[in-house]
Amino acid sequence: MPNVLVFAEVNDGVLHDVSLQCLSAARQVAGAGGRVSCLLAGHGVAGLAPALVAAGADSVAVADDERLAAYVTAPFAKAVGACLDANPADLLLLAASTVGNDLGPAVAAARKAACAVDCDGVAAQGGTISLRRAGYDRKVMTTFVPAAAGLVVGTLRDGAAPAPAADAARQGAIAPLALDLTPAELVSKVLRRDVAKKTVNLKDAKIIVAAGAGVGSPDGLALVRELAQALGAEIGATRAVVDAGWLPADHQIGQTGATVRPDVYLACGISGAVQHRVGMMDARTIVAINSDANAPIFKIAHYKIVGDLKVVVPKLAKLLKA
Amino acid sequence: MAINIVVVVREVWDTRDLSGSVLDGAGAVRAGAMETRFEPEDLNALEAALRIKDAQGAQVTAIAVGETRSVDVLRECLYRGADKVVRVGADPAGLDDQALAALIAGAIAKAGPCDLVLVGTAVPDAENSLLGRHLAAALGVPAVSWVDAVEEVGPGRAVAKRAVEMGYEFVEVPFPALLSMGVALLEDDPRAPRPAKAMLKLKMKKAEVPVVSPADAGAADPAALVAMKVATMEAIAPRVIESQQVDPESEAALKGMLDAVLKGE
Ligand SMILES: Cc1cc2nc3c(=O)[nH]c(=O)nc-3n(C[C@H](O)[C@H](O)[C@H](O)COP(=O)(O)OP(=O)(O)OC[C@H]3O[C@@H](n4cnc5c(N)ncnc54)[C@H](O)[C@@H]3O)c2cc1C
Ligand SMILES: Nc1ncnc2c1ncn2[C@@H]1O[C@H](COP(=O)(O)O)[C@@H](O)[C@H]1O
Repeated sequence: MPNVLVFAEVNDGVLHDVSLQCLSAARQVAGAGGRVSCLLAGHGVAGLAPALVAAGADSVAVADDERLAAYVTAPFAKAVGACLDANPADLLLLAASTVGNDLGPAVAAARKAACAVDCDGVAAQGGTISLRRAGYDRKVMTTFVPAAAGLVVGTLRDGAAPAPAADAARQGAIAPLALDLTPAELVSKVLRRDVAKKTVNLKDAKIIVAAGAGVGSPDGLALVRELAQALGAEIGATRAVVDAGWLPADHQIGQTGATVRPDVYLACGISGAVQHRVGMMDARTIVAINSDANAPIFKIAHYKIVGDLKVVVPKLAKLLKA
Repeated sequence: MAINIVVVVREVWDTRDLSGSVLDGAGAVRAGAMETRFEPEDLNALEAALRIKDAQGAQVTAIAVGETRSVDVLRECLYRGADKVVRVGADPAGLDDQALAALIAGAIAKAGPCDLVLVGTAVPDAENSLLGRHLAAALGVPAVSWVDAVEEVGPGRAVAKRAVEMGYEFVEVPFPALLSMGVALLEDDPRAPRPAKAMLKLKMKKAEVPVVSPADAGAADPAALVAMKVATMEAIAPRVIESQQVDPESEAALKGMLDAVLKGE
């Protein structure tokens, strides 16, 4: 049974929910005979270790160090390496986040390990670990296996494994991890961060009205906002809208934003790029409004409205208020 | 002093408007079913390099692995303003990013001193390529990934704007360094890296593209470096969605849809 190391990512003092999903995937892969250990690295993070034990870790190595206050590849990769040296693992799992997708490959490159990112699942059969990923516009499921024995590194997408049930009675060893960093490992510096605080809760929203670049301007967005209000819905956005500065980043849905599964998803002026679709395609009912009848979003929409959102959206809002 | 920049560019499948099955009966990618294109983020990496060249002078070298299928990405680089190109004479089929990185690192070392290496982050079948990370390890240089813009360059350092969940980070790295460029977001005009220039096309149409062999690049048998291989590829059945068209002109149709949706039908 393989031993698995999970990198527990912490953002603003909160454990990344996909890291917790990695723990449940790790437990499943490790089975009864394998060990699941966790690396908790950062500054002021030690208090989170018991939550990792409750979520399924047999042991937690804690690297609580002020030099780890901001994520920079080299010192974090060193911490993962130290952890692997002390407790050899067959599989390293991380969240497919901007941290995990940077750190996982860095560790793999340093150790010449097999690596796949953005995976939709992981399995161990007959001693072989495999990772699978939907690619080619989610038209092909590719299964990867290591070319030779040794460490396998994988990052998992949101939803690739279920969230683990927390069991406060679980026992696990929590121990500090000493970090010996060389000047060469500290050359990269985060000068400043410009990161939004979470103000919307898209994950729990029952209805989401999402705006795409098709809204065209803050005025167009105002129409969408009005419809959301009439529906009692949260407002989501594509990356194009966030990059235009029309909505803050916490509204973004998709690969680099939130993954949502609402009852109703109303896509307004969204083309339906795969990076957006992966974040919303499991919504129960999808309504799409787009002036382009060939927009890919229509391929996954239950209700297709081909038209100008500047006309259709106010109509819908009016009908709801009537 | 003008810095030396290497841009790694790739020709990849264009999966955007894919019709029909991607795979043939044997589970291999049907090359005929797909067009190729200049990997869009590599085009951003090139654009970032050319902007540095425009602003403060730089020698820009583009490197690609393998023969051209239908888009000659190296010549496209010359048409946009790259100074030099190098082709690594190896077939990338069957090679993973670890093996490709070894070849490219060898070619970079042969090309002379280098301050900055720029690569694109994504390829269409794997939204995050590992190439940047492996290349940084092979070159032994620090790297920053998901870079949306190069904020400052020199002397002796760069400041990269890195996309993170919920915002951006500004990361300083000393030269030599590698930056993996992200989605698009070249601030002023996100979707339009510069087009080819007619004048450069005329001038560069016949330019010679030097080829470095794997042996010259220091990896005589790149296949031996492969760490991760594809076991199987299976077509994912398209989701069958019962969908209906709603006439935006008809108030009754819109009302009916709203009622159905809100009742959870
Ligand atoms: C690594 C990576 C990660 C990414 N992560 C994400 C992510 O997390 N989330 C995300 O959303 N994107 C992400 N993207 C970007 C993604 O590829 C697309 O660029 C983005 O989703 C497009 O947003 P959009 O649909 O709003 O804009 P566009 O693609 O520009 O589409 C606008 C649509 O609006 C329609 N339209 C225009 N005017 C009107 C009108 N008046 N009425 C009705 N319709 C109209 C158009 O027909 C068009 O279909 C990522 C990309 C990469 C490479
Ligand atoms: N869209 C793409 N994404 C990733 N790799 C690609 C893409 N298109 C082509 N390649 C590479 O090109 C190689 C040759 O493709 P083929 O000969 O069709 O199997 C593949 O093994 C891939 O490594």
